[in-house]
Amino acid sequence: MAVTVYIPAPFRRLTNNRSYVEGHGQTVAELLDDLKARYPALGDMLQGEGGDLPSHISIYVNNQEIHSLQGEATPLKDGDEVAVIPVIAGGQDLTSEQMLRYSRQIMIPDVGVAGQRKLLDARVLVVGAGGLGSPAAVYLAAAGVGTLGIVDSDELDLSNLQRQILHHTPDVGRPKVESAQETIARYNPDVRVIPYRERLDAANALEIVGQYDVVVGAVDNFDTRYLLNDASYLAGKPYVDGGVFLFEGQVTVFIPGQGCYRCLFPAPPPAEVVPKPSQVGLLGTLPGVIGVIEAFEALKLILGLGESLAGRLLIFDALAMEFRQVRTRRDPQCPLCGDAPTIRELGEYKALSSSPLAGRDEG
Amino acid sequence: MAMLAIEQRYIDEMIAHARQEAPLECCGVLGGRDGRVLKLFRATNAERSRYRYNIDSQELFRINRECEENGWQFLGIYHSHPDSEAYPSPTDVGLAFWPESLYFIVSLRDAGNPEVRAFRIRDGEITEEEIEIVRR
Ligand SMILES: [Zn+2]
Repeated sequence: MAVTVYIPAPFRRLTNNRSYVEGHGQTVAELLDDLKARYPALGDMLQGEGGDLPSHISIYVNNQEIHSLQGEATPLKDGDEVAVIPVIAGGQDLTSEQMLRYSRQIMIPDVGVAGQRKLLDARVLVVGAGGLGSPAAVYLAAAGVGTLGIVDSDELDLSNLQRQILHHTPDVGRPKVESAQETIARYNPDVRVIPYRERLDAANALEIVGQYDVVVGAVDNFDTRYLLNDASYLAGKPYVDGGVFLFEGQVTVFIPGQGCYRCLFPAPPPAEVVPKPSQVGLLGTLPGVIGVIEAFEALKLILGLGESLAGRLLIFDALAMEFRQVRTRRDPQCPLCGDAPTIRELGEYKALSSSPLAGRDEG
Repeated sequence: MAMLAIEQRYIDEMIAHARQEAPLECCGVLGGRDGRVLKLFRATNAERSRYRYNIDSQELFRINRECEENGWQFLGIYHSHPDSEAYPSPTDVGLAFWPESLYFIVSLRDAGNPEVRAFRIRDGEITEEEIEIVRR
Protein backbone atom coordinates (compact mmCIF):
# COMPACT_ATOMS: atom_id res chain seq x y z
CA MET A 1 0.00 0.00 0.00
CA ALA A 2 1.34 3.41 -0.91
CA VAL A 3 0.37 6.20 1.45
CA THR A 4 1.28 9.85 1.82
CA VAL A 5 3.01 10.79 5.05
CA TYR A 6 2.76 14.35 6.32
CA ILE A 7 5.91 15.61 8.01
CA PRO A 8 5.48 18.64 10.31
CA ALA A 9 8.01 21.47 10.55
CA PRO A 10 10.16 20.10 13.40
CA PHE A 11 10.83 16.85 11.51
CA ARG A 12 11.48 18.28 8.05
CA ARG A 13 15.21 18.53 8.64
CA LEU A 14 15.06 14.73 8.84
CA THR A 15 13.32 14.36 5.45
CA ASN A 16 15.38 16.72 3.29
CA ASN A 17 12.90 19.51 4.03
CA ARG A 18 9.99 17.69 2.48
CA SER A 19 6.53 18.17 3.99
CA TYR A 20 5.18 15.00 2.41
CA VAL A 21 6.94 11.73 1.75
CA GLU A 22 5.65 8.49 0.32
CA GLY A 23 5.51 5.40 2.49
CA HIS A 24 4.52 1.76 2.17
CA GLY A 25 2.96 -0.84 4.45
CA GLN A 26 -0.18 -2.84 5.19
CA THR A 27 -0.34 -1.43 8.69
CA VAL A 28 1.00 1.56 10.58
CA ALA A 29 3.72 -0.64 12.10
CA GLU A 30 4.92 -1.70 8.65
CA LEU A 31 4.84 1.88 7.45
CA LEU A 32 6.98 2.96 10.41
CA ASP A 33 9.55 0.26 9.54
CA ASP A 34 9.54 1.48 5.94
CA LEU A 35 10.15 5.07 7.05
CA LYS A 36 12.92 4.01 9.42
CA ALA A 37 14.69 2.25 6.56
CA ARG A 38 14.50 5.19 4.19
CA TYR A 39 14.89 8.09 6.64
CA PRO A 40 17.16 6.78 9.42
CA ALA A 41 17.23 10.14 11.24
CA LEU A 42 13.43 10.22 11.29
CA GLY A 43 13.49 6.55 12.28
CA ASP A 44 15.48 7.44 15.40
CA MET A 45 12.69 9.83 16.39
CA LEU A 46 10.04 7.14 15.83
CA GLN A 47 11.80 4.54 17.92
CA GLY A 48 11.82 4.74 21.68
CA GLU A 49 13.31 2.41 24.22
CA GLY A 50 12.62 -1.22 23.32
CA GLY A 51 11.81 -0.23 19.74
CA ASP A 52 8.26 0.87 20.51
CA LEU A 53 6.72 4.06 19.23
CA PRO A 54 7.58 6.65 21.87
CA SER A 55 4.65 8.20 23.73
CA HIS A 56 5.69 11.67 22.58
CA ILE A 57 4.86 10.93 18.94
CA SER A 58 1.27 10.92 17.71
CA ILE A 59 0.40 9.12 14.49
CA TYR A 60 -2.75 9.96 12.58
CA VAL A 61 -4.40 7.98 9.79
CA ASN A 62 -6.83 10.08 7.77
CA ASN A 63 -7.04 12.69 10.57
CA GLN A 64 -7.62 10.15 13.37
CA GLU A 65 -5.05 9.55 16.08
CA ILE A 66 -4.27 5.83 15.97
CA HIS A 67 -4.99 5.16 19.66
CA SER A 68 -8.64 5.74 18.76
CA LEU A 69 -8.21 3.23 15.88
CA GLN A 70 -6.22 0.02 16.25
CA GLY A 71 -2.91 1.49 17.34
CA GLU A 72 0.09 0.38 15.32
CA ALA A 73 -2.02 -2.48 13.92
CA THR A 74 -4.27 0.04 12.16
CA PRO A 75 -4.57 -1.17 8.54
CA LEU A 76 -3.65 1.14 5.67
CA LYS A 77 -5.05 1.33 2.19
CA ASP A 78 -3.74 2.96 -0.97
CA GLY A 79 -3.99 6.72 -0.86
CA ASP A 80 -4.38 7.00 2.94
CA GLU A 81 -2.96 10.11 4.54
CA VAL A 82 -0.74 9.53 7.53
CA ALA A 83 0.68 12.26 9.75
CA VAL A 84 3.51 11.93 12.27
CA ILE A 85 3.36 14.79 14.79
CA PRO A 86 5.34 15.23 18.01
CA VAL A 87 3.31 16.10 21.09
CA ILE A 88 3.27 19.53 22.64
CA ALA A 89 3.78 18.70 26.29
CA GLY A 90 5.66 19.48 29.47
CA GLY A 91 4.76 20.76 32.89
CA GLN A 92 6.01 22.44 36.02
CA ASP A 93 7.89 20.54 38.68
CA LEU A 94 7.27 20.63 42.39
CA THR A 95 8.62 23.83 43.92
CA SER A 96 11.57 23.60 46.29
CA GLU A 97 9.13 24.44 49.08
CA GLN A 98 6.94 21.49 48.11
CA MET A 99 9.97 19.20 47.87
CA LEU A 100 10.79 20.12 51.46
CA ARG A 101 7.23 20.09 52.80
CA TYR A 102 6.57 16.59 51.47
CA SER A 103 10.12 15.27 51.80
CA ARG A 104 9.25 12.60 54.37
CA GLN A 105 6.71 11.00 52.05
CA ILE A 106 8.63 11.69 48.81
CA MET A 107 11.48 9.60 50.24
CA ILE A 108 9.18 6.54 50.33
CA PRO A 109 10.32 4.63 47.22
CA ASP A 110 6.75 3.83 46.10
CA VAL A 111 5.69 7.47 46.48
CA GLY A 112 8.50 9.65 45.20
CA VAL A 113 7.98 12.86 43.26
CA ALA A 114 5.60 11.12 40.86
CA GLY A 115 3.40 10.00 43.77
CA GLN A 116 3.43 13.47 45.25
CA ARG A 117 2.26 14.87 41.92
CA LYS A 118 -0.58 12.31 41.99
CA LEU A 119 -1.59 13.52 45.43
CA LEU A 120 -1.48 17.17 44.40
CA ASP A 121 -3.54 16.33 41.32
CA ALA A 122 -6.05 14.25 43.32
CA ARG A 123 -9.56 15.32 44.26
CA VAL A 124 -11.06 13.81 47.41
CA LEU A 125 -14.58 14.46 48.69
CA VAL A 126 -14.93 14.36 52.47
CA VAL A 127 -18.59 14.15 53.44
CA GLY A 128 -18.98 15.45 56.96
CA ALA A 129 -16.69 17.89 58.78
CA GLY A 130 -17.28 16.35 62.21
CA GLY A 131 -15.56 13.75 64.36
CA LEU A 132 -14.49 11.49 61.47
CA GLY A 133 -14.16 14.12 58.75
CA SER A 134 -11.92 16.37 60.84
CA PRO A 135 -8.95 14.02 61.27
CA ALA A 136 -9.48 12.64 57.76
CA ALA A 137 -9.42 16.10 56.16
CA VAL A 138 -6.48 17.31 58.26
CA TYR A 139 -4.27 14.39 57.23
CA LEU A 140 -5.36 14.47 53.60
CA ALA A 141 -4.56 18.18 53.49
CA ALA A 142 -1.23 17.78 55.23
CA ALA A 143 -0.25 15.07 52.73
CA GLY A 144 -0.93 17.52 49.90
CA VAL A 145 -4.14 16.17 48.37
CA GLY A 146 -4.59 19.10 46.00
CA THR A 147 -8.37 19.44 46.03
CA LEU A 148 -10.60 18.63 48.99
CA GLY A 149 -14.36 18.92 48.69
CA ILE A 150 -15.94 19.26 52.13
CA VAL A 151 -19.66 18.76 52.61
CA ASP A 152 -21.41 19.86 55.81
CA SER A 153 -24.55 21.89 56.32
CA ASP A 154 -24.12 22.48 60.06
CA GLU A 155 -22.82 25.28 62.20
CA LEU A 156 -20.26 24.57 64.88
CA ASP A 157 -21.60 23.84 68.35
CA LEU A 158 -19.46 24.13 71.47
CA SER A 159 -20.07 20.43 72.16
CA ASN A 160 -18.43 19.51 68.82
CA LEU A 161 -14.99 20.74 69.83
CA GLN A 162 -14.32 17.70 72.04
CA ARG A 163 -13.53 15.74 68.84
CA GLN A 164 -13.89 17.91 65.72
CA ILE A 165 -10.32 19.14 65.32
CA LEU A 166 -10.97 21.02 62.09
CA HIS A 167 -12.57 23.77 64.18
CA HIS A 168 -11.54 26.03 67.02
CA THR A 169 -13.26 27.71 69.94
CA PRO A 170 -13.74 31.10 68.23
CA ASP A 171 -15.56 29.28 65.40
CA VAL A 172 -18.62 28.35 67.52
CA GLY A 173 -21.73 29.37 65.59
CA ARG A 174 -19.96 29.55 62.23
CA PRO A 175 -20.63 27.20 59.32
CA LYS A 176 -18.32 24.21 59.70
CA VAL A 177 -17.26 24.31 56.07
CA GLU A 178 -15.97 27.86 56.61
CA SER A 179 -13.84 27.07 59.64
CA ALA A 180 -12.71 23.84 57.97
CA GLN A 181 -11.52 25.83 54.96
CA GLU A 182 -9.58 28.23 57.19
CA THR A 183 -7.99 25.49 59.24
CA ILE A 184 -6.88 23.62 56.14
CA ALA A 185 -5.44 26.77 54.57
CA ARG A 186 -3.26 27.19 57.65
CA TYR A 187 -2.12 23.58 57.55
CA ASN A 188 -1.31 23.62 53.87
CA PRO A 189 -1.81 26.43 51.35
CA ASP A 190 -1.26 23.94 48.49
CA VAL A 191 -4.72 22.54 49.10
CA ARG A 192 -7.77 24.00 47.42
CA VAL A 193 -10.91 23.46 49.50
CA ILE A 194 -14.28 23.38 47.78
CA PRO A 195 -16.88 23.91 50.50
CA TYR A 196 -20.42 22.58 50.14
CA ARG A 197 -22.59 24.10 52.86
CA GLU A 198 -25.51 21.87 52.07
CA ARG A 199 -26.96 18.46 52.77
CA LEU A 200 -26.12 15.75 50.32
CA ASP A 201 -29.35 14.45 48.81
CA ALA A 202 -30.59 12.49 45.83
CA ALA A 203 -30.74 15.70 43.79
CA ASN A 204 -27.12 16.83 44.22
CA ALA A 205 -25.12 13.74 45.25
CA LEU A 206 -24.25 12.33 41.83
CA GLU A 207 -23.24 15.69 40.46
CA ILE A 208 -20.92 16.39 43.41
CA VAL A 209 -19.49 12.86 43.78
CA GLY A 210 -18.83 12.74 40.03
CA GLN A 211 -16.24 15.52 40.33
CA TYR A 212 -13.95 13.58 42.68
CA ASP A 213 -11.53 10.65 42.49
CA VAL A 214 -12.25 9.19 45.93
CA VAL A 215 -15.18 9.65 48.33
CA VAL A 216 -14.59 9.58 52.08
CA GLY A 217 -17.79 9.06 54.07
CA ALA A 218 -17.60 10.66 57.51
CA VAL A 219 -21.25 10.85 58.45
CA ASP A 220 -23.26 9.88 61.50
CA ASN A 221 -26.52 8.73 59.94
CA PHE A 222 -27.66 5.83 57.83
CA ASP A 223 -29.57 7.86 55.23
CA THR A 224 -26.45 9.66 54.07
CA ARG A 225 -24.38 6.49 54.21
CA TYR A 226 -26.70 4.65 51.84
CA LEU A 227 -26.95 7.71 49.64
CA LEU A 228 -23.14 8.00 49.48
CA ASN A 229 -22.80 4.30 48.81
CA ASP A 230 -25.27 4.44 45.94
CA ALA A 231 -23.94 7.68 44.47
CA SER A 232 -20.33 6.46 44.59
CA TYR A 233 -21.25 3.17 42.93
CA LEU A 234 -23.34 4.84 40.22
CA ALA A 235 -20.57 7.39 39.56
CA GLY A 236 -17.93 4.63 39.53
CA LYS A 237 -15.92 6.10 42.43
CA PRO A 238 -14.19 4.26 45.28
CA TYR A 239 -15.94 4.94 48.57
CA VAL A 240 -14.16 4.84 51.92
CA ASP A 241 -16.71 4.23 54.66
CA GLY A 242 -16.22 4.73 58.37
CA GLY A 243 -18.48 4.73 61.41
CA VAL A 244 -18.26 4.81 65.17
CA PHE A 245 -20.52 3.83 68.08
CA LEU A 246 -19.67 4.01 71.78
CA PHE A 247 -16.26 2.33 71.90
CA GLU A 248 -16.36 0.58 68.56
CA GLY A 249 -15.43 1.76 65.11
CA GLN A 250 -15.71 0.25 61.63
CA VAL A 251 -13.98 1.13 58.41
CA THR A 252 -13.89 -0.36 54.93
CA VAL A 253 -13.49 0.53 51.27
CA PHE A 254 -15.97 -0.15 48.49
CA ILE A 255 -14.62 -0.33 44.96
CA PRO A 256 -17.40 -0.34 42.33
CA GLY A 257 -18.00 -3.91 41.18
CA GLN A 258 -16.34 -5.46 44.25
CA GLY A 259 -19.25 -5.11 46.64
CA CYS A 260 -20.94 -2.20 48.35
CA TYR A 261 -22.47 -1.17 51.65
CA ARG A 262 -25.77 -2.74 50.62
CA CYS A 263 -24.06 -6.10 50.05
CA LEU A 264 -22.97 -5.93 53.67
CA PHE A 265 -26.08 -4.31 55.14
CA PRO A 266 -29.01 -4.60 52.69
CA ALA A 267 -31.14 -2.24 54.77
CA PRO A 268 -30.49 0.18 57.61
CA PRO A 269 -31.78 -0.58 61.10
CA PRO A 270 -35.25 0.77 61.88
CA ALA A 271 -35.22 4.40 62.88
CA GLU A 272 -36.76 3.59 66.33
CA VAL A 273 -33.73 1.54 67.40
CA VAL A 274 -31.14 3.99 66.12
CA PRO A 275 -30.34 6.53 68.82
CA LYS A 276 -29.66 10.10 67.78
CA PRO A 277 -25.88 10.46 67.49
CA SER A 278 -25.96 13.47 69.80
CA GLN A 279 -27.36 11.24 72.58
CA VAL A 280 -24.55 8.70 72.48
CA GLY A 281 -21.43 9.29 74.51
CA LEU A 282 -18.12 9.17 72.77
CA LEU A 283 -14.45 9.90 73.37
CA GLY A 284 -13.05 12.00 70.53
CA THR A 285 -10.11 9.65 70.10
CA LEU A 286 -12.42 6.96 68.63
CA PRO A 287 -13.49 8.90 65.52
CA GLY A 288 -9.90 10.18 65.52
CA VAL A 289 -8.58 6.65 64.95
CA ILE A 290 -11.23 5.73 62.38
CA GLY A 291 -11.01 9.03 60.48
CA VAL A 292 -7.24 8.71 60.20
CA ILE A 293 -7.61 5.16 58.84
CA GLU A 294 -10.10 6.49 56.29
CA ALA A 295 -7.56 9.12 55.21
CA PHE A 296 -4.88 6.44 55.00
CA GLU A 297 -7.07 4.29 52.74
CA ALA A 298 -7.81 7.29 50.50
CA LEU A 299 -4.07 8.05 50.20
CA LYS A 300 -3.34 4.39 49.36
CA LEU A 301 -6.01 4.41 46.66
CA ILE A 302 -4.57 7.57 45.08
CA LEU A 303 -1.00 6.29 45.24
CA GLY A 304 -1.83 2.69 44.29
CA LEU A 305 -0.07 1.52 47.45
CA GLY A 306 -0.51 -1.80 49.23
CA GLU A 307 -3.77 -3.63 49.86
CA SER A 308 -6.87 -1.54 50.33
CA LEU A 309 -9.59 -2.52 52.79
CA ALA A 310 -11.83 -3.46 49.84
CA GLY A 311 -13.31 -6.88 50.68
CA ARG A 312 -12.59 -6.46 54.39
CA LEU A 313 -14.46 -4.71 57.16
CA LEU A 314 -12.05 -3.57 59.84
CA ILE A 315 -13.60 -3.44 63.31
CA PHE A 316 -11.89 -1.54 66.09
CA ASP A 317 -12.71 -2.29 69.72
CA ALA A 318 -11.26 0.61 71.66
CA LEU A 319 -11.85 -0.84 75.15
CA ALA A 320 -9.97 -4.05 74.34
CA MET A 321 -7.72 -2.07 71.96
CA GLU A 322 -8.18 -4.72 69.30
CA PHE A 323 -8.68 -4.73 65.57
CA ARG A 324 -10.65 -7.55 63.94
CA GLN A 325 -11.39 -8.15 60.29
CA VAL A 326 -14.46 -9.56 58.64
CA ARG A 327 -14.29 -10.67 55.02
CA THR A 328 -16.89 -9.09 52.78
CA ARG A 329 -17.84 -9.81 49.22
CA ARG A 330 -20.12 -8.67 46.48
CA ASP A 331 -23.63 -10.09 46.88
CA PRO A 332 -25.08 -11.20 43.51
CA GLN A 333 -28.52 -10.41 45.00
CA CYS A 334 -27.51 -6.85 45.91
CA PRO A 335 -30.15 -4.39 44.67
CA LEU A 336 -27.39 -1.94 43.70
CA CYS A 337 -24.32 -3.84 42.52
CA GLY A 338 -25.79 -7.36 42.11
CA ASP A 339 -26.48 -9.29 38.92
CA ALA A 340 -30.00 -7.91 38.51
CA PRO A 341 -29.88 -4.48 40.09
CA THR A 342 -33.12 -2.69 40.90
CA ILE A 343 -31.49 0.57 42.00
CA ARG A 344 -30.43 2.44 38.90
CA GLU A 345 -30.73 5.97 40.16
CA LEU A 346 -30.76 7.76 43.48
CA GLY A 347 -34.12 7.46 45.22
CA GLU A 348 -35.65 8.60 48.48
CA TYR A 349 -33.36 8.04 51.44
CA LYS A 350 -35.56 9.08 54.34
CA ALA A 351 -37.86 6.06 53.97
CA LEU A 352 -34.92 3.71 54.33
CA SER A 353 -34.54 4.25 58.02
CA SER A 354 -37.90 2.66 58.74
CA SER A 355 -37.31 -0.55 56.80
CA PRO A 356 -36.76 -3.70 58.87
CA LEU A 357 -33.35 -4.57 60.19
CA ALA A 358 -31.65 -7.09 57.96
CA GLY A 359 -27.99 -6.59 58.67
CA ARG A 360 -25.79 -9.50 57.79
CA ASP A 361 -22.25 -10.50 58.55
CA GLU A 362 -20.55 -12.52 55.89
CA GLY A 363 -18.00 -13.88 58.37
CA MET B 1 16.50 35.28 13.78
CA ALA B 2 14.29 38.35 14.04
CA MET B 3 12.47 39.13 17.25
CA LEU B 4 8.96 37.74 17.55
CA ALA B 5 6.27 40.40 17.28
CA ILE B 6 3.17 39.86 19.36
CA GLU B 7 0.22 42.05 20.23
CA GLN B 8 -0.50 42.69 23.90
CA ARG B 9 -3.94 41.11 23.53
CA TYR B 10 -2.34 37.70 22.95
CA ILE B 11 -0.28 38.07 26.11
CA ASP B 12 -3.45 39.02 27.99
CA GLU B 13 -5.26 36.06 26.47
CA MET B 14 -2.58 33.62 27.63
CA ILE B 15 -2.82 35.01 31.17
CA ALA B 16 -6.62 34.83 31.09
CA HIS B 17 -6.44 31.21 29.93
CA ALA B 18 -3.96 30.33 32.67
CA ARG B 19 -6.20 31.91 35.31
CA GLN B 20 -9.25 30.15 33.99
CA GLU B 21 -7.63 26.71 34.15
CA ALA B 22 -5.82 27.21 37.48
CA PRO B 23 -4.89 25.26 39.50
CA LEU B 24 -4.45 23.08 36.41
CA GLU B 25 -1.96 23.93 33.69
CA CYS B 26 -3.32 25.45 30.49
CA CYS B 27 -1.80 25.17 27.03
CA GLY B 28 -2.13 26.46 23.50
CA VAL B 29 -0.43 27.53 20.29
CA LEU B 30 0.39 30.89 18.68
CA GLY B 31 0.16 30.62 14.91
CA GLY B 32 1.58 33.19 12.52
CA ARG B 33 3.91 34.11 9.71
CA ASP B 34 7.10 36.11 9.23
CA GLY B 35 7.66 36.42 12.97
CA ARG B 36 4.23 37.95 13.57
CA VAL B 37 1.59 36.19 15.67
CA LEU B 38 -1.77 36.11 13.87
CA LYS B 39 -3.90 33.75 15.94
CA LEU B 40 -3.98 32.23 19.41
CA PHE B 41 -5.33 28.69 19.63
CA ARG B 42 -6.47 27.63 23.08
CA ALA B 43 -6.07 23.89 23.49
CA THR B 44 -7.31 21.26 25.93
CA ASN B 45 -4.77 19.91 28.40
CA ALA B 46 -5.39 16.19 27.96
CA GLU B 47 -3.56 15.52 31.24
CA ARG B 48 -5.92 17.72 33.28
CA SER B 49 -3.07 18.20 35.70
CA ARG B 50 -1.41 20.87 37.77
CA TYR B 51 2.00 19.39 36.92
CA ARG B 52 1.65 18.23 33.33
CA TYR B 53 0.27 19.51 30.06
CA ASN B 54 -0.20 17.71 26.80
CA ILE B 55 -2.24 19.27 24.02
CA ASP B 56 -5.09 16.92 23.13
CA SER B 57 -3.79 15.01 20.11
CA GLN B 58 -6.88 15.51 17.97
CA GLU B 59 -6.83 19.26 18.68
CA LEU B 60 -3.14 19.44 17.88
CA PHE B 61 -3.89 17.88 14.52
CA ARG B 62 -6.64 20.41 13.78
CA ILE B 63 -4.53 23.38 14.86
CA ASN B 64 -1.61 22.14 12.77
CA ARG B 65 -3.86 21.69 9.75
CA GLU B 66 -5.36 25.17 10.07
CA CYS B 67 -1.90 26.69 10.30
CA GLU B 68 -0.67 24.72 7.28
CA GLU B 69 -3.68 25.80 5.24
CA ASN B 70 -2.94 29.45 6.06
CA GLY B 71 0.77 29.12 5.48
CA TRP B 72 1.45 29.79 9.18
CA GLN B 73 3.93 28.24 11.54
CA PHE B 74 3.71 27.45 15.23
CA LEU B 75 5.54 30.63 16.20
CA GLY B 76 4.77 30.07 19.84
CA ILE B 77 3.65 27.31 22.19
CA TYR B 78 2.35 28.39 25.58
CA HIS B 79 1.53 26.76 28.88
CA SER B 80 1.14 27.84 32.48
CA HIS B 81 3.03 27.13 35.68
CA PRO B 82 0.31 27.64 38.30
CA ASP B 83 2.70 27.46 41.27
CA SER B 84 6.21 27.97 39.98
CA GLU B 85 8.33 30.44 38.07
CA ALA B 86 8.06 31.28 34.38
CA TYR B 87 11.10 29.22 33.44
CA PRO B 88 11.25 25.87 31.62
CA SER B 89 11.25 22.90 33.98
CA PRO B 90 13.34 19.80 33.22
CA THR B 91 10.07 18.21 32.04
CA ASP B 92 9.48 21.13 29.68
CA VAL B 93 12.97 20.75 28.27
CA GLY B 94 12.74 16.97 27.97
CA LEU B 95 9.52 17.22 25.99
CA ALA B 96 10.42 20.22 23.80
CA PHE B 97 10.09 18.73 20.33
CA TRP B 98 9.39 21.99 18.49
CA PRO B 99 12.79 23.72 18.33
CA GLU B 100 11.59 26.39 15.89
CA SER B 101 8.78 27.51 18.20
CA LEU B 102 9.13 29.92 21.10
CA TYR B 103 7.95 28.38 24.36
CA PHE B 104 5.90 30.89 26.33
CA ILE B 105 5.39 30.20 30.02
CA VAL B 106 2.80 32.01 32.12
CA SER B 107 3.58 31.92 35.84
CA LEU B 108 0.79 32.45 38.36
CA ARG B 109 3.12 32.01 41.32
CA ASP B 110 2.36 35.58 42.36
CA ALA B 111 -1.39 35.59 41.69
CA GLY B 112 -1.62 39.37 41.44
CA ASN B 113 1.36 39.69 39.11
CA PRO B 114 1.31 37.01 36.44
CA GLU B 115 4.56 36.78 34.52
CA VAL B 116 5.00 35.76 30.88
CA ARG B 117 8.42 34.86 29.48
CA ALA B 118 9.50 33.26 26.21
CA PHE B 119 12.26 30.74 25.58
CA ARG B 120 13.86 28.92 22.74
CA ILE B 121 14.47 25.30 23.77
CA ARG B 122 16.82 23.53 21.38
CA ASP B 123 18.83 20.36 22.03
CA GLY B 124 18.27 20.74 25.74
CA GLU B 125 19.56 24.33 25.74
CA ILE B 126 17.33 27.08 27.11
CA THR B 127 17.71 30.61 25.73
CA GLU B 128 15.40 33.37 26.87
CA GLU B 129 14.23 35.52 23.97
CA GLU B 130 13.02 39.06 23.97
CA ILE B 131 9.71 39.63 22.32
CA GLU B 132 8.38 42.76 20.72
CA ILE B 133 4.96 43.92 21.85
CA VAL B 134 3.33 45.58 18.86
CA ARG B 135 0.15 47.46 18.13
CA ARG B 136 -2.51 45.80 16.11
ZN1 LIG C 1 -23.83 -4.18 46.57
